[in-house]
Amino acid sequence: MIPFNLVRAESLEEALDLLDRQPPDVKIIAGGTDLLVELRSLSPREKGPGIVLDITPIDELKGIEDNGSTITIGPLTTHREIAASPIIREHAPLLSTACSTIGATQHRNIATIGGNVINGSPAADSVPALIVLDAEAVFKSKNGERVSPLKEIFVKPYRTDIKEDEILTALRFERLPEGARSSFIKLGRRNALAISRMNIAVIIVLEGNTIVEARISPGSATPLPDRIKAAEKILIGNEPSEELFRRAGKEVSGEMINRSGIRWSTPYKQPVIAALTTRALREAVEKR
Amino acid sequence: MEIILTVNKQSRKVEVRPAETLLDLLRRLGYKSVKYGCGEGACGACTVIMDGRPVNSCLILAVTVDGREVTTVEDLGTIQKPHLLQSAFVESGAVQCGFCTPGMIMAAKALLDRNPSPSEDEIKEALDGNLCRCTGYVQIIEAVRLAARRMKAEKKKN
Repeated sequence: MIPFNLVRAESLEEALDLLDRQPPDVKIIAGGTDLLVELRSLSPREKGPGIVLDITPIDELKGIEDNGSTITIGPLTTHREIAASPIIREHAPLLSTACSTIGATQHRNIATIGGNVINGSPAADSVPALIVLDAEAVFKSKNGERVSPLKEIFVKPYRTDIKEDEILTALRFERLPEGARSSFIKLGRRNALAISRMNIAVIIVLEGNTIVEARISPGSATPLPDRIKAAEKILIGNEPSEELFRRAGKEVSGEMINRSGIRWSTPYKQPVIAALTTRALREAVEKR
Repeated sequence: MEIILTVNKQSRKVEVRPAETLLDLLRRLGYKSVKYGCGEGACGACTVIMDGRPVNSCLILAVTVDGREVTTVEDLGTIQKPHLLQSAFVESGAVQCGFCTPGMIMAAKALLDRNPSPSEDEIKEALDGNLCRCTGYVQIIEAVRLAARRMKAEKKKN
């Protein structure tokens, strides 16, 4: 592996102090399952990071809190912890499912949700789930705190708007309301260890038998993570039905092409994302 | 950088380089059961148990293991007195070239430590991060079931 200097931050204060001095080429390491692969792939002639800043000792960046309405997840919380958390299972079950599909057991034990978000992969599994939960990202720097809707931090694939002196310190979202049902489906080349070919996160809220709220976000389908409002609109005010869910699925695939253009993978992705959406909506309604 | 870690119940104070992985460190210290397979967390040959959970040692910087506890297959048994998982792997024909075996056994051990009677699906899920290019997995899954049965029987006896 390419040589680098490593600094272990024992506290958030210490980490922010270091970033504030603006040393060139700092890379923050959390779980390391993406970063170490990236660093190992560099040849000795390439330029590696000047400093790798290890934030794993910082306890205040770990854990899941529920204050009765808002759930806050520390960025160093592992996918295993989120998948197994009773709070997440009860109030945001689709995020638990999404985190349980990431990598293999060995990855979920160390990889973190903050890393999954900041790595900025369009195929990240936790992101569509967080997007339909309307999550916010909280960043801290020496100069204070910045809160942003999660959706807005993504600038382009593998690039977020995190500033050089900032650290992601929390992801937070409201508990799902009463009557909400949700679903997350991942499609990979195999079940384990596969990067998503595509995934889909949906939430629908029913009052009686009428859909009053709908949130849909596909992963690996659009350059930037987002909700597909046009498809959500099709659902709202209607009763769940196979026909309705098919129309919403078609809208998602149409919107994917609008945003991503026709690519080599389109003949495959177009029908598949439509079918995944329909399936996720069906699954959400049938649950509970 | 100096760290203190526990390997196979033995506390060790070691000097590590910033870019050294836990896999590099363990092999340097003589724990050669831990294998370098793919180097990117896709094969599971470097699996060890850290604080009770299976992890890929190739994806962990050694520095970050300061204060933690690591177990490798060297801690399980010896040729004269193998661990029940090890004898089950041999008897079930779950070993051919053997390269994936230490990682498989550690992933299986982490499972059985938490769940002494896993279903077939639970075994498959626990081993889903470990690749084997020889056996086709059927015998490996059979070996874990056999070991689970024997470990339970042994526990009853005691």
